[in-house]
Amino acid sequence: MQTSKILMGLFVLVWISIGQVSVVSAGALLQDLENALMCKCDDKCGKVLINCTCATSDKTRAKFSKMLDSGLTIEQIIKMQVDEYGETVLSAPTKFGFNLTAWVTPFVALIAGGFGVRKVLLAWVGKKDGGDSIEVPEPEIPEKYSKRLKDELDGIEL
Amino acid sequence: MNDIGEFTLLLALATALYGCVAYVMSARGNRIDLYLSADKTPFIVWVCVTISSICLWRAFLTDDFSLQYVWAYSNIELDTFYKVSSFWGGQKGSLLFWALLLSTYMLVVCFQNRKKNLRVVPYAMAVMLAILIFFLFLINFSTNPFERIPLPPEDGRGLNPLLQNYWMVIHPPTLYLGYVGFTVPFAFAVAALISKDLDDGWIRMTRKWTLISWFFLCMGNLFGASWAYVELGWGGYWAWDPVENAAFMPLLIATAYLHSVMIQEKKDMMKVWNMSLILLTFVMTLFGTFITRSGLIQSVHTFDEATLGYYFLAFLFVIIAACIGLIIARLPLLKSANELDSFLSRESSFLFNNLVLLGIAFATFWGTIFPIISEAVRGVKITVGPPFYNQVNVPIGLALLALIGIGPVIAWRRATFSNLKKNFLKPVLAGIVTAVALFPVIPLGSRTEIYTYVTFVLCVFVLTSILTEFYKGMVSRMGLHDESAVGALATVTWRNKRRYGGYIVHIGVVLIFAGIAGSQAYGTHTEKHLKIGESFKIRGYTITYEKLVAVEATNIKTRIIAQLAVERDGKRYWTGHPEKEFYKGQNQPVSEVDVLSTWKEDLYMILADFREDESATIKVYVNPMVSWMWTGGWIIALGSMVSMWPDRLEQRRRLDRIRKQEQLFPSPAQE
Repeated sequence: MQTSKILMGLFVLVWISIGQVSVVSAGALLQDLENALMCKCDDKCGKVLINCTCATSDKTRAKFSKMLDSGLTIEQIIKMQVDEYGETVLSAPTKFGFNLTAWVTPFVALIAGGFGVRKVLLAWVGKKDGGDSIEVPEPEIPEKYSKRLKDELDGIEL
Repeated sequence: MNDIGEFTLLLALATALYGCVAYVMSARGNRIDLYLSADKTPFIVWVCVTISSICLWRAFLTDDFSLQYVWAYSNIELDTFYKVSSFWGGQKGSLLFWALLLSTYMLVVCFQNRKKNLRVVPYAMAVMLAILIFFLFLINFSTNPFERIPLPPEDGRGLNPLLQNYWMVIHPPTLYLGYVGFTVPFAFAVAALISKDLDDGWIRMTRKWTLISWFFLCMGNLFGASWAYVELGWGGYWAWDPVENAAFMPLLIATAYLHSVMIQEKKDMMKVWNMSLILLTFVMTLFGTFITRSGLIQSVHTFDEATLGYYFLAFLFVIIAACIGLIIARLPLLKSANELDSFLSRESSFLFNNLVLLGIAFATFWGTIFPIISEAVRGVKITVGPPFYNQVNVPIGLALLALIGIGPVIAWRRATFSNLKKNFLKPVLAGIVTAVALFPVIPLGSRTEIYTYVTFVLCVFVLTSILTEFYKGMVSRMGLHDESAVGALATVTWRNKRRYGGYIVHIGVVLIFAGIAGSQAYGTHTEKHLKIGESFKIRGYTITYEKLVAVEATNIKTRIIAQLAVERDGKRYWTGHPEKEFYKGQNQPVSEVDVLSTWKEDLYMILADFREDESATIKVYVNPMVSWMWTGGWIIALGSMVSMWPDRLEQRRRLDRIRKQEQLFPSPAQE
């Protein structure tokens, strides 16, 4: 039951992380497009369009701006770019087919690691006594010993 | 001089080969004569590599274009400042610089550990020499910086304008100091495995080295971000480029190691894990070098002549295979008791911290190599850029931030409910109050804004938990001694440097998280084409384009400078001078941005374009909280200094250990 809750929680985390959030602001459309595509200049600068400052990137931005003004959607422009340059023009892998493994693998590894750490910890705790749920009452210590202890602890590098 | 430089490189290689063999034979055969002979080689190698480096620097400073490397990365007009830094501007010089740093580190290790721990140190020196041999081999036979041009040209090709920035003098050496520094703990770890001396001696011997390397790597990353921010002119500081990733991954793994090693020191646990982490850290430093020098993965940082991929790949495989083989062979000796008192303990939180740090490192690694995997599987090379890393790493990073707050206040061994309540009440309350206070104030319309909101809440939670620790220490001290609050705080910190230094580092990390979150979510920018005298507004600033000036800076450099008046509340607030620099023979001009930085936000100006009629395209970014990141970096530096500062108590303990070791294994001099 507890495991299924953890799994559900992690699923929600993954879903939130890789899910799309729609941005409706018109001013942000060009920025979204710049974020989604790579600069395809002759120098093969390897930068995302939004990060690129070369002359080609300026021309590309102007071209996209006109395309958006003409009524084309982001998806249509991206598709046109992919048709022209191939998938390499996209700044991130698509979220279907083999490319989905790019998105899912880190979370799968993290979840598997989490279960691994939990198992290891439980085994280590079990070795000791298995009684971690018992709360040990803090003993009453006379003040003079308490002060002396604090004084000595001050000198210890933890 | 060039002949001397070339000859000393060969001499360094030959000496290193001899030293490596002699150290191993002295350790295996208990040959004191060989050990004494081998112990001279680090100094000889260092002298040779230093002479060779001086020869190359001289060639740059005297414009000796008979050397192909000097011709490719310098010219007569280049500032002396950049002639010095051109040394590491290309592949050949950067490898020589690597060798210079490694031989210097090796020399310090040699002096530091002379006649100490004769079971481990000779092997550690042999490992360092073996790594140096690899670099010297490449420099001598594959990518020699002293390669000549038969007919020397009159002038050089010049340094890439993007590299003509003061950060070029600071960032690469800092990063290299970190990269190369991890060779020392790696060498001692391998030496401990070979010599079967697998207690925590090697950890203690290399603790300072690990901290120093971590510090330089961390600063190197931050300096790189700073450089990108002021030089590349796109308003950002981190682009998740493969080479940036390659510098980030060892930092994450080393951070995991620095935390988990505390458990080994305290409880003699997790020996295999710690050994694996430090070996992996070193492997990742080599991976970064492989990326820049292979040309296999597209990166803006890749060297022009990236031809050494196969050498580095082969070396990587050898190192990985040797490390795995050694760990498997020594598994019985690496077994530890591995017992924990409770699931709820600082030990557990450190394990989860390791998991999260490695999770981010893995996600980054996966994103970096996925284009290669995709090409191998589907035959299609794809790009994995910032959107991927931001979506994958941000949620994991938030988990890490939460753990930074939990770690310092959860008790070692066993955390009881009353202990948790006592330690977490204030931080959790502070977090809740922040969440409630911020909820109506900040926008929550996109995923980035939601993440930023969570980040701010967690930052307050973490800061409160750390500051509470300082407060508790201070009050405790004041209760016992007649000291002022400041005095008590200083004394507590000074007497527990490692612990409180770590806390200071955590405060710096929190500021970096806050700075990244703020700048990513609430930044804005605009681009306007203006004629002289025209204005526009952005976030309360009125920016007026006043004039455009052309300055012939040198024979090869022309600066076009725009003057922009910035007004706020009707008053002139600042004058910005963004510019474009044109270099003779270079296709693309370079943007030099102008930034007005305050604690609240940066006003970041770029001269994007200009025309003959003096009209210009001006791009302005308002980037909130960027200065928090740089402040966080300096706080990390301060915390690292505190942690690394020599400790009298520790030195006393170390001397005791050395005395005990010397009684067990008399030094050669004593024999």
